[in-house]
Amino acid sequence: MAVCAAIIGKDNSPKYFTCINPDEELGFQYKVLSSLDVVEEKLNNGTKSGSDSRELYLGLLYSLERHKIYGYVTNTKIKFIIVIDSTNTSLRDNEVRSMFRKLHSIYADNVCNPFYIPDEPINSKSFDKSVKNIMSGA
Amino acid sequence: MNGIDSSASDTVDRRPIITCAGELEVFSALEDSLTQALPQDSCELRRSLGRPVRLVHIGANFIPFSPTALPKESQWDLIRQPLFHVYWTECADVDVYKTAVKDDIESWLKELAAKEISDWLIVVVENYDGKRANKLLPRTTVLDKIRADYAPKQGDRCISVINPGRSETRSADSWRGLVGRVRHLVLVAYAKAVVKLEDHVRHQREKRTEPEWDFMNYFFLQEELAQVLEMLGLYDEALVQYDELDVLFSQFIVNGHIGELANWLHKFQKPLERWHGLKLGPSKLMQNTSFLELRAYLFAKQAHMLLLTNKVWEMAARCLPFLHACVKELILLDITAPSGAVSCWLFLACMEVLQTCNHFNQLDQVEAYFANTATLWAYASQKLRELGELCGLMPGQNPTSEQLHMVVGLSAGMGDCSGRSGELSPTDKLKKALSSQDAFNKNYLELVELTMVTYKHIGHLRSARLIGLEVASFYMLLLETQKAAAFLGDALRTFESDGWHELAAQTQVKLAECYRKADDVRKFIASCAAVSAAPEIDNLIRLSYFDEMRKCLDNLDKSLVVPFEDIIKIINITIKNNNGSVMQDDIMDVHLIVDCNFPREVLCTNIVMTLEPESKENKKMKDKSVNERTIIVKDIKHNSNSILRVLHMQRHLDYKQDKQLSSANVVCKSPPFKRKSSTISPQPCNFDFCLEVTELPLVLTPGINIIRLTKKATDIGKFYLGRVAINIGKLSLISNPLNFKLVIEVTKEEPSLRLDKGENALLFGLEQTMQLFLKVGSYAISRDSVIKLSASRGMTIQHIPNEQLTSSLEVPITNVEPFSTSMTLLRVFAEHSSKDHQITLVCPWSNKPIPVTLSFSPLLAISWRLHTVHNRKFIHVTLLGQTDTKLQLSSSHLDFRDKIKTKALHIDSYDQILEKGVNISYVWEILTIQSSESPPLKAQFSTYYTAIVTEDESTNIDTTTRQFIHHLDIANYQTLYRVEIDVQPTKGNEFCRVGALCNLNLCIKPASHMLDTVEIETSLMYEVLAEPTVWAVCGRTAGVVSFETDMEPQIVVLEVMPLNNGFLPLPLVRLSKYIPADVSTSDKSRKGAESHPRLEPFSPGQVYNVSKGHQVYVIAATVTEATVT
Repeated sequence: MAVCAAIIGKDNSPKYFTCINPDEELGFQYKVLSSLDVVEEKLNNGTKSGSDSRELYLGLLYSLERHKIYGYVTNTKIKFIIVIDSTNTSLRDNEVRSMFRKLHSIYADNVCNPFYIPDEPINSKSFDKSVKNIMSGA
Repeated sequence: MNGIDSSASDTVDRRPIITCAGELEVFSALEDSLTQALPQDSCELRRSLGRPVRLVHIGANFIPFSPTALPKESQWDLIRQPLFHVYWTECADVDVYKTAVKDDIESWLKELAAKEISDWLIVVVENYDGKRANKLLPRTTVLDKIRADYAPKQGDRCISVINPGRSETRSADSWRGLVGRVRHLVLVAYAKAVVKLEDHVRHQREKRTEPEWDFMNYFFLQEELAQVLEMLGLYDEALVQYDELDVLFSQFIVNGHIGELANWLHKFQKPLERWHGLKLGPSKLMQNTSFLELRAYLFAKQAHMLLLTNKVWEMAARCLPFLHACVKELILLDITAPSGAVSCWLFLACMEVLQTCNHFNQLDQVEAYFANTATLWAYASQKLRELGELCGLMPGQNPTSEQLHMVVGLSAGMGDCSGRSGELSPTDKLKKALSSQDAFNKNYLELVELTMVTYKHIGHLRSARLIGLEVASFYMLLLETQKAAAFLGDALRTFESDGWHELAAQTQVKLAECYRKADDVRKFIASCAAVSAAPEIDNLIRLSYFDEMRKCLDNLDKSLVVPFEDIIKIINITIKNNNGSVMQDDIMDVHLIVDCNFPREVLCTNIVMTLEPESKENKKMKDKSVNERTIIVKDIKHNSNSILRVLHMQRHLDYKQDKQLSSANVVCKSPPFKRKSSTISPQPCNFDFCLEVTELPLVLTPGINIIRLTKKATDIGKFYLGRVAINIGKLSLISNPLNFKLVIEVTKEEPSLRLDKGENALLFGLEQTMQLFLKVGSYAISRDSVIKLSASRGMTIQHIPNEQLTSSLEVPITNVEPFSTSMTLLRVFAEHSSKDHQITLVCPWSNKPIPVTLSFSPLLAISWRLHTVHNRKFIHVTLLGQTDTKLQLSSSHLDFRDKIKTKALHIDSYDQILEKGVNISYVWEILTIQSSESPPLKAQFSTYYTAIVTEDESTNIDTTTRQFIHHLDIANYQTLYRVEIDVQPTKGNEFCRVGALCNLNLCIKPASHMLDTVEIETSLMYEVLAEPTVWAVCGRTAGVVSFETDMEPQIVVLEVMPLNNGFLPLPLVRLSKYIPADVSTSDKSRKGAESHPRLEPFSPGQVYNVSKGHQVYVIAATVTEATVT
C-alpha cells in the first residue's frame, strides 16, 4: 500500500499530489522533489546507453529509512512517483509496477477529459478517488 | 591490495590440506618445490549440475598422514580438513615392493577406505642413475604393479615421477605431469566435497521450519561453504552464499513479524548493549552474537567479497539499503536500544564504508565514487544531526546532565576501535564529535558540506538544496543568518524553477524569519510580501506577515524594489487606442488587469507602466508583436514558461540481427530537463517615461483589479510597453519586462497642400480660378507662415481679388490650428503661345519646393493657306473653336509689315461667335507687285475675343476682351510658271473614247515677269500624275523642258487613254526644278559637282495650273470597233 503518490509534469512541477496522511504532505513533497534528481539521472543515462526506451517503469528511485520511492515516466515525460512504507514487506516490485500502470491509465483517462487542460494541476475529485483506490491496493 | 589490514589476528592458512604417507623422506625433498609449483598455474574446476567450469589457482599445505586427523562424516569444516592424500615411495624394485611397500600401501588405503575417502594418489619417485639407464626396460615396473594392485580402473591415481633433484632435463616433463595431476585431483576432491556440502546445506535449510532448527548453526555451515569457495578464489560464489544467508535472515524476521517468530530469533531480541562500529575486513563472529553484530559481520563479509572482486562501488551502493534494512529489522524484532545507540551505529557504519571508499577513490573513478557515496554522506549527516539534537549539542542548546550521561553511555557502547594507520577511526570521530558543541558543529558542518558537494557533483541539485535547507536551519540556530539566507535562497530558487509552490512558500516563510532575525528590514519586507501572497500558506499566517510588512513599510527610509513574482500577476494588458496608434498630443490609454494576491486591500501610491522607445533590439522583437493589441495571461505564460514547448521527437528504428526492421518508435532523446537560469534580478529601468494612473491613490483589492493607465503622447515613435510598477509607499513592486511586446505607435500628421482646378479644363488665354487647399496636420503651424507660389514663364497668378497678376506671390496661412483646413482662390492666366506650365509651391514645413504641373488647353486653333489666281495671291485664315466656352470675335486684321496692302474679301462689319467645332474663315488678297523675286512676308493676324457667359454658368469666367495674335510667314509666293493641259481626241476622231488614245497637250509658260529675270531655274521636269483607274498614260510620262534659250512657252504632246467614260478630270502634271548632273562651267551658282541629276519641288503658289479643275468628256467605246480592233 502506497502512502503517497504524485504526478509531476514534464517541467518538473507537481500536477497532482496526494498522501494518506495529509499532515505528512509537506515532508513527502520534499522527498518526491528530491527523487526527481534520480529520475533525471535515470532518464539521461537511459538514453545514453540506449536501453529499452519502451520501459516506462524506473523502479526504485531511492529508499529512506521508512519509505521507498518508486518512479515511472511516460513517453511524454510525465513522471509518476509512488512512495511506499518500507515496513510494508508484502509489497513486491510487481505490485508497484501494476500500481503505476493503473495510475498511468487513469491519468490518460483524465487527460482525455475535454475539460482538463493538459499541464494544469489536476483537481478532479473522481481522479483523486481513483488514485486513492490504487494506493490502497484495491 | 584491497586496503584491508591483513595483519589482523585471524590469519588462518587458507590452503587445502594434503596429507603425505609412505616414504616421507622422499617427499620432504620435493615438498618445497611442489608447494611453490602448485599455485603457479590455474586448473579447471569442473562441477556437476551444469555449473560453468572455472579456472582456479590452488595452493597446498602438506601435513603427515594420521588416521585420526581424517575427516569424519559429520564434519563440514572443509577448510580445516585434509581432503586429499598422497602416498610417496621410491621403491624401484618389484620384489622390494612386494615384500614391504605393498603392505604399507594396503593398510594406508584401508584407513582411507574406512572413512570413505577416494581422493588419493600414489607417487612413485624414480631415481635415474647410470646403472639403471643401461639396463633394458624391465618387463614390469613397480608402478605397473601398484596400478594393477590398487587402481585397475583409475590409472591416474598412480603416477611416477623422475626425481627432479637428480636429472633436471629429463625430469621436467614428469614433474609437470605430477603437479598437474595433483592440482587436478585436489580440485576433483574439492568439487566432490563442495557438492556434498551443498547438498548438506540444502538439506539443513529445508529443515528450517522445524522448531529446534537454529539459524546460527546453519549460518556457520553455509559460511563454511562460502569459505571453501573463497579459498578456491571463487569470491563471487562465496558472495552468493553470504547473500543467501542475508536474505534468509531477513525473510525469517519478516515472516516472524507476520506469523510466529522462530524460536532461535528470540535470542536476538535481547536489548542492545553494544553498538560497536561496523568494521570492514577480516573479523570473527563470536558466540552469542547480538543482532547488530551478526548483521555487521554478514555485511563485512559481503563487503569483503565485493572488495576482493574489485566491486568497491557496489559495496558502497549496498550499504544504505543494508542500513535501512537493519533499522527496519530492529523495529520488527522489537529490539530495544538506548536512544541514540542505533543512530551511533548507523553513523559509524556509514563512516566506515565511506572511509573504505575513500581508499579506493582514484582519479578515474571519481564519478563512481561520488555517485555511490552521496546518499551515504547524506545519511551520515542526518544521523549525526539526530544525535546532536538528542544530546543537546545543537547550537543554542545546553546539554542537561541527563544528556551528558547519554553521551557517556553512547560512547561506552561504541567500544574502542583504533583507526587505521594515521587515521581517526569513525568511532574516534564520533566520540570526539559528541564530546563538545564546538566539535559537533565543526563535524556536522563539514559532513553536510561534503554531502552537498557530492550531490551537486552528481547533478542531484534538488537533493543538495534539501540538505541546504537543513544547513540553513542549523545556521539559524547558530544565528548566522547570512549563511542561512543564502541556503534558503538557493532552495527557494530551485523550488520555484521546478514549480513546487508550496515548498517555495514554506521556504519563503523560513526566509522571512531569517531576515527578521537578521534585522534586515528591506529583505524582510520582500519576503513578507511573498509569504502574504502565497495561496499555499494558511490565511492567518499570510495576514500576520502582511500586517508586519505594512508596519515595516512605514519605517522604510529608502524605496525598495521587489519583483512581481507571484505577488501580482498580470492577467491582461489591452491598448485601448485604435489599432495601437495614437496621434501626437492625444492620450495613450492602456488597460491593465492584474491579479493581486495580497490577502488584504492595499493602498497604492502609484501605478506606472514604462514605455520603451523602439530601438534596434526591439525591432527584432517586432515579429513577435504582430498586431495584437491585447495580451492575456496565456501569452505571458507561454513565453516565459514555454509549457507547450515542443518535445524534440526523433525517429527510432530497431533492427533485427538480419537487418530487418523490428520496430519503429518515436523517442524523445533529450528530455526537457534543462533548468531555467535563475531569474534575473530586475534591471534598473527608466520610469521617467511611463503610463500612469490618473486617480490616486488607488486601492488594490485581493483578486482581479482593472487599472486604467494613461499618458499624453508627446513624442513621436513606436513605444513598447515595458514593465509595470506598483508603488505602495516606498515599496515598488516591479514586473519583469513583458515578453510579449505590445506596441503603441505615436504618430503625427503633416500639413497637406492641394491645388485644384475647377470642373473644366484649364484654358490658355483666359483668366481662371484655381483652389489652393491647406489642411493643417496634427500640429499647429507658426502663425505668420506663408506659402510661396511661383509660376513658370508665360503664366501669372494672383490670390487677391482685383489685384494685378504676378509671376510669384506669397499666400499667408490664416488658419494655423491643428486639423483645420483653409482654401484660397487663385487666379491663373496663361498666355496662348506657351506650353504646359507649373506652379511651384514652397511651404514653411518643408524645404523641398513642390512643383504642380498644370496643363492648359487652347481656346481656338488657327490655320492659313495661300491661294493663287494667275499672279494674284490670297491669304485664307481659318479659326476653329476648341472649347465649350463660346467666344465672340471682333476686328480681325491681317497686317503686313512691309507696308503691303491687303484687301479683305470677307465681310468684317459684325462680330462672330466661335463655338466648338465651328470654322470661321477670313480671306485677304495681298496686293503685291509681281516680280520673280519673293521676299518673305511677315504678317500678323489679330482678332479680339470675349468669352460669352451663358446665364447658368458661374460668373468666375473671365469676360474681359483680349486680343488673339498669330504670326504668319509667307515665302516663295510669286507665280513663276503656268501650266495648261488639254486632252484632245486624235486626228479624225471627234470625241475622246474610252480605250482610244488621246493627245495630252501640255503647255508650260513662264510668268510674264519672269522675262526680266536672269537667274531662274531654266530646266523643268514634268510628270504626268494620272489617276491610274481613270487614265492610262501611254509612252512618256515625264520629260524635261528647258527655257534656257528662250522664254517661249513649251508645248509637249503626250498620249493618254481614258479608261472610263463621262466627264473626267484631266490628269495632273507636276513641275519640278530639274538640276542636271553635269553642270555647265558657266553655271557658277552651283557649288560642287553633282553626279546625279536631281529634282527640287516648287513652293505652292510658284506654279499656277490653269487647267486645274478642267474636265474632258469621254464617250463610251463602240462595240463594233472594239470587236474590229
